[in-house]
Amino acid sequence: MELARLVVVFARVGILNELQYRVNFFFQILESAIALLTALISLALVFRHTTMLAGWQPAELLVVMGIYGLMSGIVQAVIQPNMVRLARDVFDGRLDYILTKPVDAQLLISIREWQVWRFTNVGLGLLVAGVGMIWGQIGFDVWQALLFVGMLLCGILALYSFWLILTSTSFIIVQIENLINLFEGLFAAGRWPVSIYPGWLRVLLTFVVPVAFAVTVPAEALTARLTGATLVLAVGVSVGLFVIARLCWRWGLSRYSGASA
Amino acid sequence: MSLQTDQPVVVVNNLSKTYEVPERDAGLLAALRSLVHRRVRSIHAVAGVSFTIQAGEIVGFLGPNGAGKTTTLKMLTGLLHPTGGEARVLGYLPARREPAFLRQITLVMGNRNQLQWDLPALDSFELIRAIYRLPIAGFRSTRDELIELLEVGDLVKKPVRNLSLGERMKMEIIGALLHRPKVLFLDEPTLGLDVTMQRRIRAFIAEYNRRTGATVMLTSHYMADVEALCRRVIVIHHGRVLFDGQLSGLVEQFAAYRTLVVTLAEHGIDLAAFGEVIARDGLRYTLRIPKAAAPLITARLLAEAPVVDLVVEEPPIDDVIEQVFAVEAA
Repeated sequence: MELARLVVVFARVGILNELQYRVNFFFQILESAIALLTALISLALVFRHTTMLAGWQPAELLVVMGIYGLMSGIVQAVIQPNMVRLARDVFDGRLDYILTKPVDAQLLISIREWQVWRFTNVGLGLLVAGVGMIWGQIGFDVWQALLFVGMLLCGILALYSFWLILTSTSFIIVQIENLINLFEGLFAAGRWPVSIYPGWLRVLLTFVVPVAFAVTVPAEALTARLTGATLVLAVGVSVGLFVIARLCWRWGLSRYSGASA
Repeated sequence: MSLQTDQPVVVVNNLSKTYEVPERDAGLLAALRSLVHRRVRSIHAVAGVSFTIQAGEIVGFLGPNGAGKTTTLKMLTGLLHPTGGEARVLGYLPARREPAFLRQITLVMGNRNQLQWDLPALDSFELIRAIYRLPIAGFRSTRDELIELLEVGDLVKKPVRNLSLGERMKMEIIGALLHRPKVLFLDEPTLGLDVTMQRRIRAFIAEYNRRTGATVMLTSHYMADVEALCRRVIVIHHGRVLFDGQLSGLVEQFAAYRTLVVTLAEHGIDLAAFGEVIARDGLRYTLRIPKAAAPLITARLLAEAPVVDLVVEEPPIDDVIEQVFAVEAA
């Protein structure tokens, strides 16, 4: 398959690139460890006062936290670096080279950067989620596991689309760093299930920044909370966001004139 | 869409491109005002350009900065949509960016690189192979042929960041030609390179054109590039074609002067009566004379002055070009 083949080739080169900077690996481990520790402390603090948070038990919240780590790992490893690079290329006109290639340009701009060390967070996130599952003695069957993977993929698609929509604005706005900070701030809310937030914020985290679909919904699938309605909504919103992202990208391209000479 | 062999490779008909650019006066107040009320100005970067290029030609595309060269190249490579008119390359409309079209062209920009900075060029070549889906055997033989032609040898195994500017450009050129494109758009391929490296790249382009019959469209600020490679030049200025034809014709048409280098046998002769003396080195004088009067003045000089040696020269192409643009601007 064309897509998989190109992804593999680009990932290989991306990894080769990153291997040049081995020190990053150790810093990344340190950074991930600190982030995890802070998250665990905040979790412990909350449960000194209560044993249940909006219907979620401590072990289940650990699962949410693990999935949050996994998702932010994916965003940091692939999605964000590619989008930052896209914004830079739009700015200095290097996108020209992408546009003269006989492959879908959106595909190419989405798979060029691979910050492999960031996958540490993915591993750590899986570990934390696993510990939560064991601690809470949360069992799951094959069907649930499939649902979980499916919801993860929907979540990744939603996050990717959201990022592409944001980055497509770089065709008219030069600075996207502020947008990145904004995203990171909002995404941090995904550490907790969105059901703990007040209504307006929940809507924001569901339909504007797809945190709910990226983190809470996969966690729901794993903890037998997922309803049919949520499932349909998750698939619908992900695909819908992807279509909107594609349109935004096309619109951005039509405005692209390349940095002159 | 297929292309007949006898059809021109590039057909440009009344092509134009207008940019809308925001405009404001200097100063804080004007900047604040422009936040609310944005004024835009239309810039006619390309204003009705027409030409055709046959298969196998090497055409030089000349013009000062901002003349519309790069904009035209970008429309021919599908990066920009024309505002008006039509461009066809190999029978395709470039702006549609059909894969079948993009597979047959390439774009090299002297001021931008596409290779992976931290990796040896060989790794980047593999990426390009994947993008164009080149069969491994053909890819290797093309790659090795290009490596040999450009004499880069083992440099392909060094990280690109450790290469000199010229070496890097050679790698860029290899990367741009791996898919054996039929049409090459080269935008300032020798920019910033030293004279030796420029000459190497030039020789390579000529050899590549000879071997593959590829059509080449080249922009350069270095007239030496154009003189060495292009029999035909298209001069563009203010978005319009000023001249399209043989390089020699350009000199013929636009050089209003001839340069006369005269060596005299003795001192004390005033040559100002024959023309404008622009340089003097002992008994050697350089005169500038109107082209039309050249035969007459030469004859007079030979008859009236003790001439040891006399050479009539065409002015350097750079001067001619400069003159073309000066005349146009006036």
